[in-house]
Amino acid sequence: MLIRRLKENSIELTEIEPIEAELLRKVPSVCDTGGDSRAETRLFSSPADTSERQFLNDWDEYVRPELRHLFLSARKTVEADLENLLDRPGHLGRLIVPRTHGDAWLNTLNQARLVLASKFDFSDEELSMHKVPKSFSRRDLVLLQINFYAAIQERIIDVIES
Amino acid sequence: MAETVVEPKVKVSLGTPWNVVVHNDPVNLMSYVTMVFQRVFGYSKEKAQQHMLEVHYKGRSIVWTGTRERAEFYVQQLHGYLLLATLEKAE
Repeated sequence: MLIRRLKENSIELTEIEPIEAELLRKVPSVCDTGGDSRAETRLFSSPADTSERQFLNDWDEYVRPELRHLFLSARKTVEADLENLLDRPGHLGRLIVPRTHGDAWLNTLNQARLVLASKFDFSDEELSMHKVPKSFSRRDLVLLQINFYAAIQERIIDVIES
Repeated sequence: MAETVVEPKVKVSLGTPWNVVVHNDPVNLMSYVTMVFQRVFGYSKEKAQQHMLEVHYKGRSIVWTGTRERAEFYVQQLHGYLLLATLEKAE
């Protein structure tokens, strides 16, 4: 898969392999924590220690719903973009993303990676590991999925910041 | 006759400064964290990278210090980018 800026206002993802298309389509659903407490705790981390009780209460009441809305809104943007992913059988896929959606993509890919990393309880060492495992357990495949999303994030940052 | 202006004595309370602290997180990309610091605080790329590296190698970085209200605002912004950020009293 190639990711590049297309003219001024778009990000183009081309030569998308079927497996990559499948992983891309999974991004919005992967963000769903499914009530997993580890993933919820990571997405909505504490903004202060417990001595700031009033602040934490206000945060839970006012800020957390806003954050939830922000994350959901980003996911919906990505979901809508993915409906335009063209990948006919036997052909590599192509997807055009408006450059203004770049932040939503970065946010959603981040959510996806954080949720996967939390649910599967990956350690720092595992997450920074780049060697190819000898066998592929479910965890190994999820780690590849996390790194695949990271690579896309890197390219989108390049395109947005260039 | 020259007018004498007497400045009123005003008790100014500057209040306790607050730190915005960002904590290390193995998932967030270094380039992403740098970009976020540039956007949220308006830092140069060099300054943003300096803080990002401090987070990466030391586990945390005080990325901003100032009023409580502003610190809360920045922490909220950073959470919107899914960074691990907290506020704490500056020592």
